[in-house]
Amino acid sequence: MAELALSLVEARFLEALLTAGPPTVARCGEVLNWSHRPFPSEWAERSIDRVHFGSEFCETLLPGEWQVRQAVAAAMSCGIGLSLVTAPASDAGLERLSALLQLLPAGSEVIANDWGVLRLLADFRPAVIPVAGRVLCKMVKDPRLPSAEWAKLYPHGIHSRPFVALLRRLGVGRIEMDVPPFAQPADFHGLGPAISVHSPFGFSVRGRSCRAGSLNLPLEQKFMVGPACHRECLVYIDHMSRRQGGSESDLPTFQRGHTIFYRHSPEMNAALATAVAQGRVDRLVLSGDWNEDCRSHQSSR
Amino acid sequence: MKIVAPISRVGEVAPLARAGVDELYCGIVPSEWTARFQSASVNRRAFGNLSSYEDLRQVVGIAAEFGRTVSLVMNAQHYTEAQIDSLVDLAYRFAEMGGRALIVGDLGLLSVLAERGPAIRLHASSLLGCRNAGHSLLLKDLGAQRVIFPRDITLSEMAGVAAASAQLEYEAFILNDGCVFEEGSCHSIHLPSRLGGPICLDRYVSEYSRADGRPLALAEQNKLAANDHAYQEWLWYRFSCGFSVSPEGFPFGPCGLCAIPQLAAAGIGAVKIAGREGALERKIKSVELVRAALDHHSMAGGTSQYSDFVRALRGGEASCAPGYMCYYRETGAGKACARG
Repeated sequence: MAELALSLVEARFLEALLTAGPPTVARCGEVLNWSHRPFPSEWAERSIDRVHFGSEFCETLLPGEWQVRQAVAAAMSCGIGLSLVTAPASDAGLERLSALLQLLPAGSEVIANDWGVLRLLADFRPAVIPVAGRVLCKMVKDPRLPSAEWAKLYPHGIHSRPFVALLRRLGVGRIEMDVPPFAQPADFHGLGPAISVHSPFGFSVRGRSCRAGSLNLPLEQKFMVGPACHRECLVYIDHMSRRQGGSESDLPTFQRGHTIFYRHSPEMNAALATAVAQGRVDRLVLSGDWNEDCRSHQSSR
Repeated sequence: MKIVAPISRVGEVAPLARAGVDELYCGIVPSEWTARFQSASVNRRAFGNLSSYEDLRQVVGIAAEFGRTVSLVMNAQHYTEAQIDSLVDLAYRFAEMGGRALIVGDLGLLSVLAERGPAIRLHASSLLGCRNAGHSLLLKDLGAQRVIFPRDITLSEMAGVAAASAQLEYEAFILNDGCVFEEGSCHSIHLPSRLGGPICLDRYVSEYSRADGRPLALAEQNKLAANDHAYQEWLWYRFSCGFSVSPEGFPFGPCGLCAIPQLAAAGIGAVKIAGREGALERKIKSVELVRAALDHHSMAGGTSQYSDFVRALRGGEASCAPGYMCYYRETGAGKACARG
């Protein structure tokens, strides 16, 4: 049976979810106000096995030291695994990350979405387990693709021997993948590393010029790389629709910060379920607090 | 500092050499690739490629007559194992023709080319998104001799990476074609315009909600709308200002000319002009523009006289006053303001 991980970007949810033992999927949905059904729905009463803490997409959201200490303590008290999630990084970000790595118990995972982070882990932190995040596992994931034929034009190489050899060289034994539009179970068929898959949202594109992060900046600093944002991505969700030119096959799409996400279709969920049943995917990463969240939050008012 | 510019046809080599280019880059989609893989996925661009080995041979030959070099792009986001094998064969052909370097966008391909490819220089494409010293050192370990920085990087970040690994050469964007999202993290397809075009320019309508479930206050709605309006303005500049040009024919759009003094000081050895699919006239004017800036910099250095000169090239300060056109806005070269 596949392991269940819960991804959290904000530390405040650690306390809400992990004080009374490992939460069930249903409890996660209740606290985090999921509008989407947890996948697979029959696992609602299953407890989560691991927490993924941090941001995959923006180094500004790298947790502080006390937050990492909090995550370590919460995971240990629950008896669940901890994975520190990291984003593409500048050298300044790598320096901050290096300090955080000292706080992780041996055997913790670090999910790297930057090759420099993987190299750092290989060279200096052999006690943590490196995982290649989904930013490094490239595949076509355009939520507007009108047919499977488009996806076939650009097959991914995640399971190719050169890519697997590179991962092995960096000590990576696990990769993270998205479910691409028009996915087939074979998309997850690899002979190399173990495979985690994010559900029920994939990411399509990410940038560094941040629309949400520019909200409170003066015109001359908007959409610029560098100025400090106010983490508006944690506050606002942009639900995107193509009212002109969109097609029925468009996947529900939303943007948080500088990353565009899509929600899986029932067919994509079915392909993932088959891959899980076949043992090709051994961990599901449920999107915790970083989702489209379009239901009103009666409980949190 | 070398000027690196694109070509898409044999006939473009000589004009660009005369305009002052140092290195040329191009792509090719051989017919057997299309037949075998049913797509043009040899590199990042479906269009703007040479279509035959004979054309590629001529490109390399004509460039050599002018004392220029040619690099071949293999910069798709990802390749299958079978495609990598085909690219190794292509690399040998290109090396035999006298090609100078391969621009590689996939780490698996880079490592294979270093292990069993021809003796040819390997340049790590901007698609690999190198933004820290650890990444650049890994690229060096895998066989790269040059790192091409991505667009969204600051001057100080580039300087830091270059200082940490001085054995590598570095190249930075200088003109044309600004991706909205990071090219290396873009998993969309530039669809035909009837299907929406690039995702960053598709006509999406935004509806905002708050993650805490509270309704948006009117002031928040207004602020978000104003921000989106500014974003549309920024998109226009980022997308080459509608491919407009100055009275002299110099292209408007993403530009890093004012940053040349800082780039030079950081040890950046080459600057890249984008726009492989563009018209020849645009490519020539782009090379002329960068050549003029570099020549002036070599005489004037990083003085205020240099900045004045560069801004005057396209009609004075007003032409680039909107800072949204700058690749490296920390130079303070322009002040952001609404178009028109």
